[in-house]
Amino acid sequence: MKNTPASFLTRISSLLFASCLLHLASLQVLAQDSDAQRYSNLLIRMNAIKAETRQVEDHNAITRLGRAFAYYLDKGYFGEAANLFTDHGRLMYGNDGVYIGRDRIRELLTRHGKSSMNAGPGLPFGRLNNHMHLQPLVTIGEDGTTAKARWREWGQVGNFKDKAEWTDAILENDYIKEDGVWKIAEMRLFLNFIADYQGGWAALEPQGRNWKTEVGREFRADERSPVRYKPFPEIYVPEFHYENDISAIQTPPPIEFTPRRPDDALGKLEARADAEALKLARVHAVRAVENLQAMYGYYFDKGLWSQAADLFTEDGTWEFGQMGVYQGPESIARGMSVLGPEGLEEGQLNNFPMLQAVIHVDENNERAWGRFRSDVMRTVEGKGQWGGGLYENEYVNDNGTWKITKQHYWVTYWGDYDKGWMRDGIIPVEQMSEAIPPDAPPTVVYESLPNTYVVPFHYNHPVTGEPHDDMGRLARDKAAGKNVR
Amino acid sequence: MFPPLIESRLQMVNVSFLVSCILYLVSTSAHAQSPAELSALESELNAISTRIERLQDMEEIEILQRSYGYYVDKSLWYSLTDLWTEDGTLEIGGRGVFTGADRVFEYMNVGLSPVGPTQGLLMDHQQFQTLTTINPDGVTAELRGIAFVMSSGGWGHCYYENDFVKEDGVWKMKTLHGPFNMYSGYPIGWVDNLIYNTWPTKFPPPPDLPPSVVYLTYPSYYVEPFHYPNPVTGEPMPPHDPAAGGVAFGR
Repeated sequence: MKNTPASFLTRISSLLFASCLLHLASLQVLAQDSDAQRYSNLLIRMNAIKAETRQVEDHNAITRLGRAFAYYLDKGYFGEAANLFTDHGRLMYGNDGVYIGRDRIRELLTRHGKSSMNAGPGLPFGRLNNHMHLQPLVTIGEDGTTAKARWREWGQVGNFKDKAEWTDAILENDYIKEDGVWKIAEMRLFLNFIADYQGGWAALEPQGRNWKTEVGREFRADERSPVRYKPFPEIYVPEFHYENDISAIQTPPPIEFTPRRPDDALGKLEARADAEALKLARVHAVRAVENLQAMYGYYFDKGLWSQAADLFTEDGTWEFGQMGVYQGPESIARGMSVLGPEGLEEGQLNNFPMLQAVIHVDENNERAWGRFRSDVMRTVEGKGQWGGGLYENEYVNDNGTWKITKQHYWVTYWGDYDKGWMRDGIIPVEQMSEAIPPDAPPTVVYESLPNTYVVPFHYNHPVTGEPHDDMGRLARDKAAGKNVR
Repeated sequence: MFPPLIESRLQMVNVSFLVSCILYLVSTSAHAQSPAELSALESELNAISTRIERLQDMEEIEILQRSYGYYVDKSLWYSLTDLWTEDGTLEIGGRGVFTGADRVFEYMNVGLSPVGPTQGLLMDHQQFQTLTTINPDGVTAELRGIAFVMSSGGWGHCYYENDFVKEDGVWKMKTLHGPFNMYSGYPIGWVDNLIYNTWPTKFPPPPDLPPSVVYLTYPSYYVEPFHYPNPVTGEPMPPHDPAAGGVAFGR
């Protein structure tokens, strides 16, 4: 037989093939995948875990930026606030136009703060400049270097013995990561109103399309606003950056079972990666649920009942005050319409900020519970009202997208704007609608202020891990003769 | 043995098969079994585990601060006190420093209200804008926050610069420092009729230590130092203009 290269190769190949088979067979004893496959799978998983960790870190960095900005405005640190923008950062201030670059932004913020460009940080005597940036809804771009967020700005401003005002705005911000640092690339501030304390938002007169703020008239913008809108009492809905991108409410799907890993060195690492991935998914889910509740709130604000109801599962329930329970998205949208027509009517304010989130996610990243609150600014039949209340809600991870299964708003109080929420200003909680009856009566019957009650906590005490039992402990301490009341 | 064409094709098949077999053996032996690579992977897991724990820490501290607000709303003073370490402190407005969990309870129960909600009374202390920093040690943290108060007395706006500590894996309140910013009644809002701050004898009980800082609230100017540098420039907080809070500011 001629020793041709081909036959030599054939023999070598056969040998190698046999040894490969043997190698594979030996691995089969331990696992279905080969070590190589397992190792390379683990590397891929590690990269996914790192990317998701980065995503949640980025989310936190964006909320930190937003909150730092608001704290600077409060105390007249306008230069520090402007420094949060990129070199060519842009700030669109309602209809006034777009101000470009940090110097212009600093001057704009200083002028709105009734402060001075001839001074260092601070405010003059008698200036109140509280700007609270609330209800963040953060979407991190897939590339990890861009992000968007919607915020609500609630302003409590004024000058001592002269003026007190409420301001209301929605922000849609673009962020960019430059050299590892997140910055504001563009802030679009959709001012909804500046209302005098006396009379409040219910007393505001309609504005034309060319309305501008006092500052905007004196300090001209660098560019015209890309949008023209009329502020409240017109209903204007600023763009939703998440209209076609709901990644803000997505996380890995629930963990159905924890895989059993082989008892070898690689298996130990695989098991650790499993545990870290689950821990991370649950941390991520907290942010996704916070985003989801914010999303619900931003739709609810503007009477976009169908869009708000679409965030529920098919059997999800919505319960508001003593109005009873509406079940399923169609019925929920109908129930919400008790509060006003779809899209609201002119002069109707329906601000329900979603605040003070306490969210817990179950062990499998499948269900979550959230306690929130709203301080409500609204009008009912043309009259201004304040309101306050708590939510105890439930959410479910539907194959990677979080949905609402239960939304329960417990009314603490309603108060007439002019009289306040004391004594004769108190408005009782709403009852079941006869025109649009609920699918079920209220799950809990209660009265709002002047009656008080504690909304049950979905969670145990964060430090002791025990259920909340203050009244029981008071009774026991009193029985033991302790000096408590 | 074979016609030349077929033989040369077989040869190509063989070459590629040979290469993949070698690659397979090389990859399995070199990759799966290398202790150096496994230990590198373990280090990566350790690093990522720490980062995920920091994310958890931040959420746990947010829960602590926000639960504090829910407890104040309804005078749940036992639950509130349980947030503190044994030697933790509390300082709100100008009342001075209260040291230890028992004194925190006393501050609330003697000074403010009985345990549980009081009929007809509103004292909502909404917790806004939690800005949390976990220190590199992983067991201490700081938080700036706001209590936006809507109560039977009217409006209140109060900052927090609080410290937290992780004891046996559980985050607790170490220092609550809550300087007032603005307190006003309801009828005319913050145009006038303001409370310019509280002081140690404003109501009982007296503090263990005097106020750590003496200041006046709106319409005067006080800025509680930010515990964090500017998130973009990384620079520490610049001092405020010495004329801030006066009418000569900016003139």
